[in-house]
Amino acid sequence: MESSVQQKIIQDLLPQKFGRKGKLWVAGLLFFCALGLAAYIHQLSKGLVVTAMRDYASWGIYISNFVFFVAISLVGSLISAVLKLSNVQWSTPLTRIAEIIAIAAITFAALIIIVDMGRPERFYNLFLHGRLQSPIIWDVIVITTYFIISILFLYFPLLPDFNLMLHTEKKQQLPFYKFYRFFGGFWKNTAKQIKVNKRAINLMAITIIPVAFSIHTVTSWLFATTYRPGWDSTNFGAYFISGAFLVGAGGVVIAMYVLRRAYSLDKYITFYHFDRIGKILVMLALIYLYFNVNEFLVPAFKMKKAEEEHLMGLFNGEYAGIFWFAITSSMLLPILILVFRKGRRPLPAFIAGSLVVVGSWFKRYLIVTPTLLHPFLPMHDVPSDYLRYFPSWEEWAIAIGSLAGMLLIVTLFARIIPIIPIQETITEIEKHEKV
Amino acid sequence: MMNTNDTSRREFLAAGLLAGVALAGCSSRSNPFQTGDTDLVKPSGKMVKLLSVDGEVIEVDEAFLKPVPDLPPVSNEAARAGIKGKKFVMVIDLSRCKSLKKCQTACNHMHQVHPGQNWIKVYPMQDADHTAPYWQPTTCMHCDEPPCVKVCPVDATFKRQDGIVLIDSDRCIGCRFCMAACPYSTRVFNWGDPGLSPEVAAQPYSCETSIPQKVGTVGKCDFCPDMVREGKLPHCVSACPNGVFMFGDILEDTVTNGDETFRFSDLIRDKAGYRLMEDLGTKPSVYYLPPVNRNFPFKNEEGAEQTKKS
Amino acid sequence: MRKYNYILLITILVGLAGHVSYSQTPKNDLNLSLGYYNDNNHFQYLKANAKTKIDRKFQMVPGISLTFYLGSESPENLLGRAISDDKGDAVVFIPASIKAAWDKSAKHSFTVVSANTPLYDQTKATADVTRAKIKIDTGEDRKITATFLEWKDSAWVPVKGVDMKIAVRRLDADLNVNETATYTTDSLGNVSADFKRDSLPGDEKGNLILVAKTEDNETYGSVSSQKAVPWGTAFKYVSHFDKRTLFARRGRSPIWLELMAYGIIVAVWGVLFYLVMQIRKLKELGVSGA
Repeated sequence: MESSVQQKIIQDLLPQKFGRKGKLWVAGLLFFCALGLAAYIHQLSKGLVVTAMRDYASWGIYISNFVFFVAISLVGSLISAVLKLSNVQWSTPLTRIAEIIAIAAITFAALIIIVDMGRPERFYNLFLHGRLQSPIIWDVIVITTYFIISILFLYFPLLPDFNLMLHTEKKQQLPFYKFYRFFGGFWKNTAKQIKVNKRAINLMAITIIPVAFSIHTVTSWLFATTYRPGWDSTNFGAYFISGAFLVGAGGVVIAMYVLRRAYSLDKYITFYHFDRIGKILVMLALIYLYFNVNEFLVPAFKMKKAEEEHLMGLFNGEYAGIFWFAITSSMLLPILILVFRKGRRPLPAFIAGSLVVVGSWFKRYLIVTPTLLHPFLPMHDVPSDYLRYFPSWEEWAIAIGSLAGMLLIVTLFARIIPIIPIQETITEIEKHEKV
Repeated sequence: MMNTNDTSRREFLAAGLLAGVALAGCSSRSNPFQTGDTDLVKPSGKMVKLLSVDGEVIEVDEAFLKPVPDLPPVSNEAARAGIKGKKFVMVIDLSRCKSLKKCQTACNHMHQVHPGQNWIKVYPMQDADHTAPYWQPTTCMHCDEPPCVKVCPVDATFKRQDGIVLIDSDRCIGCRFCMAACPYSTRVFNWGDPGLSPEVAAQPYSCETSIPQKVGTVGKCDFCPDMVREGKLPHCVSACPNGVFMFGDILEDTVTNGDETFRFSDLIRDKAGYRLMEDLGTKPSVYYLPPVNRNFPFKNEEGAEQTKKS
Repeated sequence: MRKYNYILLITILVGLAGHVSYSQTPKNDLNLSLGYYNDNNHFQYLKANAKTKIDRKFQMVPGISLTFYLGSESPENLLGRAISDDKGDAVVFIPASIKAAWDKSAKHSFTVVSANTPLYDQTKATADVTRAKIKIDTGEDRKITATFLEWKDSAWVPVKGVDMKIAVRRLDADLNVNETATYTTDSLGNVSADFKRDSLPGDEKGNLILVAKTEDNETYGSVSSQKAVPWGTAFKYVSHFDKRTLFARRGRSPIWLELMAYGIIVAVWGVLFYLVMQIRKLKELGVSGA
């Protein structure tokens, strides 16, 4: 009986070919990627003058997009490591989704930083002339580290699944057979291998948490190490981390819902999972809300001159619309939806997750740009278009292209490897049946 | 506008290098009592025969004559180290500034700053509703603890031993972190092509001249170290008709605007000099004298749009 | 309405002027001036300045070729040629080649001639100079005495009524030794000044360089003389250049930062390396297990 259940699980969870919708989806993503690439080539030939960034708003949506990517990549460590270490069982089917999102996001975080550089061809200077004092160097080091450790964290738990796939009946028809054999052919499911693998995964789960905290803390320091109103905050590391966990968890909810629909995974990603992650989202939204209150209320209480303009711009000035939208969409509404049992069913949870992600993207924009447009000395002796910032079409195209690129990586991973860990699911089910 | 320039740009540049530099002071660098331990001028080994007032024939090393006939180009290493034994400082007297902006024009012209951008900005300032308005020219503050240098990932902007903060546009990767870090908003970015004439663009780059500007890199006021090496004052100092800017070596305790020379410590003490945003701990090298006893009205005739923000 | 008419008139005039300048390019007036400098009774030089008046404002003329002569404009009197810089200045040092002519007389006339160019006609300026020099002496209580002498009948004789400055040489300028801006020589050709710049930084030994000078004197030009005196404070140069700070150059970061950073990097990459080695181990186990 067991083998038939096993066979069923394996059959259900094997990577599947794209259907008509899948092909359309990939084609759409490719289109946006191509558009972004074209915009970038245009930017390479003309310089950053094609963007709307100028001397005051010297960072724009490239940087806010970078912060967004780094934030969303943190989810890998949350779902896979934090929950694993706290012995949460239900998160098993979500670990791989989270890890894939993390890798895709961190890849595009690195790419978008290169896009933002005035002289990308001098990227090697970071290695040739790197100054240890600069937070950018810390970011380079820590992002590289997180990228490597995320790949390892995806790879080790995959080993048993490679073995399973290599031993299915239709193995010769598998399109990525050689790929599986190269990366997982040596896995023989011996007790010794399982033991070594388990130890490695535990070690990684412990290591990835401080590394993940570092990437986003260092990213927050890119802002907090300056004097500017809105950035000059000791709260910034924690504020960024809590926001990152929130947007990452929101991203996972979206992925869960979409993959569940696309691959008919109703039996593996259940109402129970949505219920659980929904509760976690509420908690994360509350924590982020708490840090937001700290971030805005305390300076607003004092209203130092330099902070005043910045804060009033957010509260009821030119950025008030985006500001209140971001707060409502990324925190208040999701809490309102998910706090109810009915709100934690797949569709409402998906909507709440989407609100979180969209609101969080705009939140990142608000972190970067309004501060730059409120310098200490008044903006002066510059052309009038230097006094404001609205992204140019090239910036939008590149930003959207990078988001599409991230989704494309997630999609391709889902095509190549089982999006839900097969071996672990089997083990879990066996455990439950024995009990 | 008629052209005062009689020769082509190329000829002028060549001439500028050959005959470019004369100062009435004509201090002789062969003097053994040169203050401090500096590497300002090195002998070239090429001697010229000159006549003294007594009718004696004297031999002088060419390098000690001003103008220097052939100023050897400063290497990147030397430009990064700066001039030993010097610590440059600027004093800006707000009581004299009428926002004529001659400093800005001269600076932009000499450094080929992109049109519209300015290294020197002249701010109309009013600190509170009932306090007096005044003009505040800002250069780079050349901070002793520069926040821009702290954050530069590749040593493209650096602090020299003579106190000057420079940018190496051959090194800069264009990340603009320094622009975000600078609280004085002094840095500008070459967003697009700097739009230089082919002659200027073909010049060998030096971080001391900041010429030619390069696309995708940061630029800012450089305290004109190339001029200082030639014994001349920065362009803004000599361009100002009101003597607002004073420049000098704090280790010599003297600043000058070309016409008047002051003992730096006396000037700062007597006129209660101060620095901008002292609370940030950046320790600027630019000092301000308060806008007191002005005998001219504050007239702001610029567009309301630019000055509305305080 | 009148205002608009006025603007219109100006526009037309400017347009016409522009048109004329295109069609025949009238030559501008070139203003040349010539100054003589005697630096520390050592070398002597001439500095010429070229400027022109445009829109009732003086503008410097860079890039114009100037030729300097002692006396009349003939090739044997040639002192040198120079091209004006961006401030309109050009400098020529008095060469040893004119020694014979120089020794002959106490008074000399210098001439500078500009080249004939499409924008400016050939222009000339002269400077008549009497050979002169300054002697500096110092006495008790930091008193400075400077004597102004001119060359007369084969001897140096003092001159009365010459304005002089007494200052300390600094990097780009001369700092007066006290509040008095200028002094006038008495019948002995002397001026005396008190040095009042207490504890002014000098060189390593505390030496300062005193300067006595005339500036653009009509008869004598700019004559200067220098003397070193041990009246300053000894200058001790302390360089912070090699200090380990957050704003120092690459490789000079604070020790605590290096320790922290490298410590973390080694620890984390150690784990990563260990993990990669585990993959190898799993491979080996796979081979041996089969």
